[in-house]
Amino acid sequence: MTRSWVEPIGANINRVEALAKVTGRAVYTADVPAQGAAHAVQVPSQISAGRVRRIDTREAERATGVLAVLTHQNVPRWRGQPAIPYYAESRLPLSDDRIHFGNQCLALVIADTLHQAEYAASLVLVDYQLGQPVPNLDAARADAYPPTGPYPDRFPTEHRRGDAVAALRSAPVRVDREYRTATISHAPMEPSSTLASWDGDQLTLHDSSQGVFAHREAVATAFGLPVESVRLISSLIGGGFGNKSYTWGHTLLAALAARVVRRPVRLTLNRKEVFTGTGHMPAMIQRVRLGARRDGTLTAITHDTVNATSPTDDRNEPAIQSTPALYAVPNLAARAQVAKVNIGTSGAMRTPGDTPGQFAVECAMDELAYELGMDPLELRRKNYAERHPQSGKPFSGKRLLRCYEVGAAEFGWSWGEAEPGTLRDGNDLVGYGMASGIRAEHSAPAAARVEISSDGTAEVRTGTQEIGGGTLTTMVQVAASGLGVSPDRVSIKAGDTDLPQGAPTFGSMTSGSTGSAVHLGARRVRVAAIRLAIRDTQSPLHGAEEDAVDVRDGRLLLRADPSRGETYVDLLDRHGIGALRRVGEYQPEEESAVERATFGAHFVEVRIDRQLSRVRVARHVGVFDCGRVLNEKTATNQARGGMIFAMGGALMEQLVPDPVSGRLITPALTDYHVPVHADIGDVRALFVGEHEPEAHPVGAKGLGEICSIGIAPAIANAVFHATGKRVRELPITPEKLL
Amino acid sequence: MRTFQLDRPGDLAEAVRILAEDEGARVIAGGTDLVTLMRDGIQQPSRVLDLRDLGLTEIEWQPDGGVRIGALCPNAVDDRRLAAEYPLVVAALRAGASPQIRNMATFGGNILQQTRCAYYRLPEFACNRRDPGTGCAALRGDSAKQAIFGVSDTCNAVHPSDLAVALSALEAEVLVHGPAGARRIPIREFHPLPGDTPHRVSALRDGELVTGIELPAAGRGRVSNYVKFRDRASFAFALASAAVVIERAGTVVLGARIALGGVAPKPWRAEHAERALVGNRLDEDSIAAASAAAVRGATPRKDNEYKVELVRRVVRRALSELE
Ligand SMILES: Cc1cc2nc3c(=O)[nH]c(=O)nc-3n(C[C@H](O)[C@H](O)[C@H](O)COP(=O)(O)OP(=O)(O)OC[C@H]3O[C@@H](n4cnc5c(N)ncnc54)[C@H](O)[C@@H]3O)c2cc1C
Repeated sequence: MTRSWVEPIGANINRVEALAKVTGRAVYTADVPAQGAAHAVQVPSQISAGRVRRIDTREAERATGVLAVLTHQNVPRWRGQPAIPYYAESRLPLSDDRIHFGNQCLALVIADTLHQAEYAASLVLVDYQLGQPVPNLDAARADAYPPTGPYPDRFPTEHRRGDAVAALRSAPVRVDREYRTATISHAPMEPSSTLASWDGDQLTLHDSSQGVFAHREAVATAFGLPVESVRLISSLIGGGFGNKSYTWGHTLLAALAARVVRRPVRLTLNRKEVFTGTGHMPAMIQRVRLGARRDGTLTAITHDTVNATSPTDDRNEPAIQSTPALYAVPNLAARAQVAKVNIGTSGAMRTPGDTPGQFAVECAMDELAYELGMDPLELRRKNYAERHPQSGKPFSGKRLLRCYEVGAAEFGWSWGEAEPGTLRDGNDLVGYGMASGIRAEHSAPAAARVEISSDGTAEVRTGTQEIGGGTLTTMVQVAASGLGVSPDRVSIKAGDTDLPQGAPTFGSMTSGSTGSAVHLGARRVRVAAIRLAIRDTQSPLHGAEEDAVDVRDGRLLLRADPSRGETYVDLLDRHGIGALRRVGEYQPEEESAVERATFGAHFVEVRIDRQLSRVRVARHVGVFDCGRVLNEKTATNQARGGMIFAMGGALMEQLVPDPVSGRLITPALTDYHVPVHADIGDVRALFVGEHEPEAHPVGAKGLGEICSIGIAPAIANAVFHATGKRVRELPITPEKLL
Repeated sequence: MRTFQLDRPGDLAEAVRILAEDEGARVIAGGTDLVTLMRDGIQQPSRVLDLRDLGLTEIEWQPDGGVRIGALCPNAVDDRRLAAEYPLVVAALRAGASPQIRNMATFGGNILQQTRCAYYRLPEFACNRRDPGTGCAALRGDSAKQAIFGVSDTCNAVHPSDLAVALSALEAEVLVHGPAGARRIPIREFHPLPGDTPHRVSALRDGELVTGIELPAAGRGRVSNYVKFRDRASFAFALASAAVVIERAGTVVLGARIALGGVAPKPWRAEHAERALVGNRLDEDSIAAASAAAVRGATPRKDNEYKVELVRRVVRRALSELE
């Protein structure tokens, strides 16, 4: 008897690595065993601006077990400048005596054991020449300027349509507000780790990487090697959120150290280094102006942003990128500036640009709604953009209205029953708020090899990486669906540049791009098998039309007469084929007739103790259009995680710079507060997406980023409804409501 | 981390002898604080004394109804009688840290934990408490988490312990043992104010260690409460907290003790607030008067001004919730 066949895509199967994770057998990069590996430790700068006048490493070099101490004075030269952003900074580590931020690496100590290296690092003496630090965005703001260089080349700093200034002037209703967001950190559980070993000119790196191919190229460039000389392997990642999207100095240093000491070298960051030296979302100040008619029709929007950037690079946080796509407003002007602060270079953090950018715009929309005396949900419906308002192209799919509808019903949204600051339950103030979110859908070329073996098992090989979102599982499901086998027959090899090139696991590209490659590869295998069968006189399917054959649970069969068919096993066996394999290649279109994006709508209820004013998100309904859901279980998990992640940014997270020096005073998990379980209320994630092959062949779109957009404004709007007070600065900590 | 010698003294006398003769020696109990400080180079003892062989984990009831709790008794204390007779102690402990940390942490270590002042815990900043005479980066820096009572011009750090706040409201005594034998230190004298010696964090003399804590017998008609306010629901130090102990005859307050946490370099007794209650009925008026009086003498700065209002509110909440 065959089991009843369940379509693998969409099935709520458990993660393929679940058992390994919950039993502690899962291997993360720092767990990868390495015979005879030495350990490297970075020597941090105690100051945030200035120079190294002198650095004395003699005592460190004499300490037990020390193999080498590298400083800017003795470090071998880098052979090339890797391209931004996959190497995040234009300055390579240890390249000069300049100090740009607190805890910057000034030297690297390599020793037999970690403890020897740590101890020796404490013996390195640095004589500093103090510079004048710019401690924070407020201090830098007056000198803000339009950024130049590779980041603005990639993320435009201006958008325009119509005449926003004139339209604002003549608008009967206007909102003009400034919003602020703090420096926040990805704060992944796993600190980045690198294990480097050389075999002649061949470098193997185990690295906590969200994009093995992009990072291999960055490393190869720095060492002047062809990419084939570098193999980069990423084991399971203990949380990325963008923290491991770019390559940071420690990865290059580990490889360099291994070359110098002629031994494998392991370098695992400590918590403080994660906070100070591997990117963050920068502090921002944003001004939003909205113009509208009395009926709520938007006539103009302007969005001006400035974000803190490091001394070495102009990295504009792309907060204005989605403003042109949000609403059908004819006049728009958006502009991004940066201001130099003595802090490490910021990086991509879930969700780059859109979390802070849409916080500002969606709060302003709420302020406009109250100004107009209009349901904020109605205001959004009124200005709904059927087509992309900037390009005029249709979307491959846009179910935002459906998100509103489903979310409002699930939440029980109704507006206008209680004035702000009037709703009470016992000692609690209660407030409701909503906001929506949009995220442009990105894609990257991707390839995957799929095979079915004569023993009935199947395998996927693609250089994607599991960062906790469920990638390995969904890729197995896509392959199972394409092949027509049960997912438990499919295994996957991933996270290695020796495999076919998958898309990176950032920018929400896995489901759409790598997923499409797997989908295409699996379809090719299925078609090859079907053709083999229908041309084979010994097959029960001989002579059938290709289209008439289906595959279920590993058995090829006639749709019209399922009793006629045979299994992959029999077919391959008879033909003496050990494994039938094909490569699927996904190539995004260069020019597209459609716009691709994901959408979300959020409805939240906050409760705030009237005297002890900590904001609690008691209920949160998020509804998403991310195309076809590949696995509702992992998707729900991912979406709830993203919603909670963004709640942390809205209510408690902040990397606080010392107001004098700019050195961070909260670079530890005791002080950098992320939500604990007790902070999490009833958080529900729902999906309205459908199979959307116009977006990508696999029909799915990204989810990992859209699920963190629109939460902060929904919460801030609910706080206003609860208290009557607009807090325009994140995080909304208790003292702002006293 | 610097290398150090680890000792496991077999009895109190040996422990005291080592502490007295070796200035670089430090006691380790649960290690939940000391180990992170050593890891970060904030404390660099040359010798570490593990007290685990000394016992000191017992809860002993005294004939007069008081109780003596061993210095090494874990913070995850599970004792019915203690919970019934000193609910304030248990509530304060439960409001702190996490279950894992409370399993390791001890009573002695808790009241001797170091400040969470970021400027103390990050060696790149100047700190008089860590390195006497080097200045205080916090005074020029971010004061949002700093003290509003009892500060000096050398230090404005906060004492972080919840337990110590409860002990203060209960007027506990700290039992210590040193080269000169045993003595007891009233809790209000145990934590000195920074003055110009902020590096002195307790009244312990050279060679002394804590052996236990003694709580006086609970008076009749006693009620108590602990209210802790922080910026997330759990696993965070107090922005402000209040421990209140009230003794009543009928409806009249005979005795009141109010201690504040998260706002001073030591558990801060709000004596003005106590006086506002004694002799009165516990009602809205007296509670309002007490919460207003609780902040008398506060010297906030711009970025911790909010703590003044927070103190009023935690005191009001703690008193209002009493039966
Ligand atoms: C993440 C985190 C969160 C926390 N949150 C809270 C909180 O919310 N509220 C709170 O109150 N606390 C909190 N704590 C602090 C925790 O309560 C203390 O770390 C703990 O109580 C210290 O006890 P211990 O036995 O581990 O002390 P140890 O770390 O062993 O020692 C601490 C200090 O006391 C000295 N010492 C210990 N025992 C003796 C003795 N018998 N005689 C003399 N000296 C001694 C040591 O030499 C050392 O200086 C938190 C800690 C952490 C790590």
